[in-house]
Amino acid sequence: MIDRISSGFHPFVLPFLAGMIFVLGYCLYGIIKILVQLPAEDRKRFFISLVTPKTFLKNIRDIFCDCLLHVKLWKRNRLLGYMHSSIAFGWFMLIVLGHIEVILFLPHRIHLFYYPIFFNFFVAETDSTIQGSLLFFLMDFFLLIILSGIALAMIKRVRSRLFGMRRTARPSLLNQIGLYALWAIFPLRLLAESFTAHISGGSFLTEPANWVFRQFLGNNLNMLPTWWAYSISLGVFMFVLPFSRYMHIPAEMMLIPLRNAGIKIRNARKGFARVEVWSCPNCGVCIDACPMSVDKANIKDCTVYLTRQIRRGNERRIEEISDKCLLCGKCEAVCQVGVEGPALRIMTRAERKYALPQDYSSIPVESLTEAAKGSKVLYYGGCMSQLVPSIGRSMESIFRKAGVDYKWMDRDGGICCGRPMFLSGRIKEAEEIVRKNESVILGSGAGTLVVSCPICYKMFKEKYTLPGIRIVHYINYIEELIDAGRLQVTRSDLCYVYHDPCELGRGAGMYEEPRRLIGRIAGIAEAPKNRSESICCGGSLGSLTLSFAKREKMTRNALDNLYAAKADALVTACPLCQTTFSRYADRPVRDIAEIVDMQTVGTITKTDSI
Amino acid sequence: MFLTMKENVVIIGGGIAGMEAARQLLLLGYNPIVVEQKEQLGGHVGKWHRLFPDMSSAQDLVRRMEEDISEANIFLETKVNSINRLREGYQVMLSNGVNIACRAILIASGFKLFDATRKEEYGYGVYDHVITNADLEAWFNGNADPRIPHAPESVGFVHCVGSRDLKAGNSQCSKVCCMTAVKQAIEIKERFPSARVWCFYMDLRLFGKKYEDFYIGAQQDYAVQFVRGRISEVSEALGGQIQVKAEDTLTGKPLRVRLDLLVLMSGMSCNPEMTRLARMARLDIDSDGFLKSLDNIRSINESNRPGIFFAGACTGTKTVPETLAEARAAALDIHRYLQKGL
Amino acid sequence: MTDFGFKLSKSSAIELDKVDTSLYERLCQAEPGARICMNCGSCGATCTAGPYSGMSLRKVILGLQRGQDVRSMLSGCMLCGKCSMVCPRGINTRHLILTLCRIYD
Repeated sequence: MIDRISSGFHPFVLPFLAGMIFVLGYCLYGIIKILVQLPAEDRKRFFISLVTPKTFLKNIRDIFCDCLLHVKLWKRNRLLGYMHSSIAFGWFMLIVLGHIEVILFLPHRIHLFYYPIFFNFFVAETDSTIQGSLLFFLMDFFLLIILSGIALAMIKRVRSRLFGMRRTARPSLLNQIGLYALWAIFPLRLLAESFTAHISGGSFLTEPANWVFRQFLGNNLNMLPTWWAYSISLGVFMFVLPFSRYMHIPAEMMLIPLRNAGIKIRNARKGFARVEVWSCPNCGVCIDACPMSVDKANIKDCTVYLTRQIRRGNERRIEEISDKCLLCGKCEAVCQVGVEGPALRIMTRAERKYALPQDYSSIPVESLTEAAKGSKVLYYGGCMSQLVPSIGRSMESIFRKAGVDYKWMDRDGGICCGRPMFLSGRIKEAEEIVRKNESVILGSGAGTLVVSCPICYKMFKEKYTLPGIRIVHYINYIEELIDAGRLQVTRSDLCYVYHDPCELGRGAGMYEEPRRLIGRIAGIAEAPKNRSESICCGGSLGSLTLSFAKREKMTRNALDNLYAAKADALVTACPLCQTTFSRYADRPVRDIAEIVDMQTVGTITKTDSI
Repeated sequence: MFLTMKENVVIIGGGIAGMEAARQLLLLGYNPIVVEQKEQLGGHVGKWHRLFPDMSSAQDLVRRMEEDISEANIFLETKVNSINRLREGYQVMLSNGVNIACRAILIASGFKLFDATRKEEYGYGVYDHVITNADLEAWFNGNADPRIPHAPESVGFVHCVGSRDLKAGNSQCSKVCCMTAVKQAIEIKERFPSARVWCFYMDLRLFGKKYEDFYIGAQQDYAVQFVRGRISEVSEALGGQIQVKAEDTLTGKPLRVRLDLLVLMSGMSCNPEMTRLARMARLDIDSDGFLKSLDNIRSINESNRPGIFFAGACTGTKTVPETLAEARAAALDIHRYLQKGL
Repeated sequence: MTDFGFKLSKSSAIELDKVDTSLYERLCQAEPGARICMNCGSCGATCTAGPYSGMSLRKVILGLQRGQDVRSMLSGCMLCGKCSMVCPRGINTRHLILTLCRIYD
């Protein structure tokens, strides 16, 4: 292998070189900006995590699996997974192999970082280079893989349904330029390398192509324009990269270590949030997932458009999108890079100023504490449960049957758990409510807090500091009672379909427990969309602006999904879901507590607590 | 099957609207064929006890009406399977296999009593002492009801249960519940003179003849108390009493009261059967979900399809006298329509 | 000024044509639901904060229509959303309250 061009330079590399320098500069600027924006505490945590071997290895593994192999996409749709990983991994391998070639054959050129990219232009094959044939083969092989990925990408533009996507995000102008540049890069590379294959050598793709070209193009004059075109397409791609969705390629490599360091969104625009926004690849998976997008409504309010508007700084739209969302968390659950749509929105809401401050000094904590005293088990029904009497009544009945000495903390009205306030972005006010409840619960002397509403449960689990008190969801609690032999279960012939409430499933990760409990007392059927992909009932307190009338469509859509299970009745574990569904459902909607109560008898008469 | 020379008119629904129309059509010389889903005629009124404002027996009314139409063809426990347009008139196929060709159809399918379990916060079907207006009428008629205590000391009536309520899918006023609540409050007081009775209302809509007299009578003679505030929460107090929460909007204070019995004034909602018929016969549905009249002033009985007429609560909430008047008007409309064709 | 031996106290009557309803009008622009309240009192009855701060959304809306100060009621709201569940007119009560807290002056 000989260095064909003694200067090691040719002007055609300039577009690539300029683009590359621009991208690297921009990324460096971005990294510094984000690090500066991070709160000092988070920054420290990030640096420590980078040198901690465990997180370091995890970072490497996650970057390899998520950025290159797109493991999560494979699970969603194989074609989609193949398309993405073929381009990402293939491209990565071309770069790696290019470097290996330079190191092996032209080690003195390693400082010229365009050499690995345009290797075939700069070298001439000699008899001694037979050792490179394996590398040449691999280069052609990965180029073929990428080209197949690009072909799929083109098909996806017109037939997204083949890839499991009904709707995709409409690309902006810069995204389109980036897309066409990306599509152009690899066919042009094939052409360029084919034109030079008789000089530089090639393999199963480039050599036959070279032979074909030489049948009717006798000279080498065609060589240079294709290398120019290849370099220009690379340059264009890199110049639009920071302003297009392709920013997700470098951003995700930053996102993964930050996330692994345990950093959370604290500001909707800066620091970690900015990395998430950059990491959004605009794939549009969240559009199909969004419960608001029924009948093609509210598509422009999905997370993919939120990240786009944040990048554009369109404040009016950012506000609208943030306020409308149900915060069901499904976009986050399906997102391949893990953009936290709900958190971005809550933090946007948190930036608002309120002229009128909230004041909870009138809440009589002492008398509420007094009323809560006297039992080891405290039951917190939550505000919504008071509007669904069947839940509280069933819980009381279950407690009695199992002989549990309990006290219903908010039987006659209490304090809200604070989550609705938190979801509205008024975090300080929410914390104030939390402190009030903490004071009542700690003062009650109870050791166990049983919660039935998943909205409250999530809040208690995440935002409350209750040392020495076990916070338990009633599903777990009832299971314990059954396992301890304090409740005896009979089976019913009915078949239920279980609806995963957002806050319990995606919010608290409880998918199996409710199913197990229902399975012990009745038949259970599954809806097509369930568990982490369950569809929000539409009643969520997360949305601030969605009107009652607009929610109806969402509820009916969620119901249709449940009807598909062909069960006798619906069962859920959230008073809000139950009320919302009951309005339009064609069959009974029950709470788990209710159906458990119907199918159990107590075995213990003495009052006790666990 | 019908070898008479008289012309067939199919009446869908054997409630008071259908029966009254059948009586008029018989008098006008037609052959009315009444199709009723249930096992007896009379519809909702047939299950009621006494009717305001004369406190006359509902059962008597239905019995007399039944006698009046003894010559009509009546199919009980029968549904309409299909309505097909013929070149002239319609072909109505019934679930009992009978096919009827007719030039005029009267839809008198009435309303569906709002299912009170759908207002979960009131605890109907959950608490032991929560009943509906219909349950109370059934009890007046002598049916035992364990939910009604032997000697209730306090009874509450909730107006507008599933009426004027977007959340319940009914934005319309059911018209009769205010008056029914006043009537039932009086009847409760007659049976339990020492009981304290409260009516919880949003607006009292007592518009009909003698209704206001009932209102005054309930206040003056029976000491029924009227609280302006919609009950929004019902819980069970220890000991099984019902505790309700409302806002006393006139004093502007939250209000709680413990009751031995809570009666929910279930309103009128669209009958799903009516929706099915509308789909079958391609009838227009109005924005409130009820059948759409040609216009709501002069042609309430007429539909968008020639030869199909309406009577009663299928086009909206109606009182008993309104329904009967409409049924008679519909019979005349049908007569006019059929005469014109001859 | 002549001393008549008694003072003319300010009338407690609401002068409906003179009431300043600008805040209410601004609220209605941001949340039109404020116009359709029929004063049924469901929200006030179910309100979690009601027993502590006297909060009743019905009274807040009515107070604004009459030009009264409703701040003390409003400040007790915990945004739990029960009022939005029970409102028979489907008013987006939480948005109404948040908007009002934002624009109150």
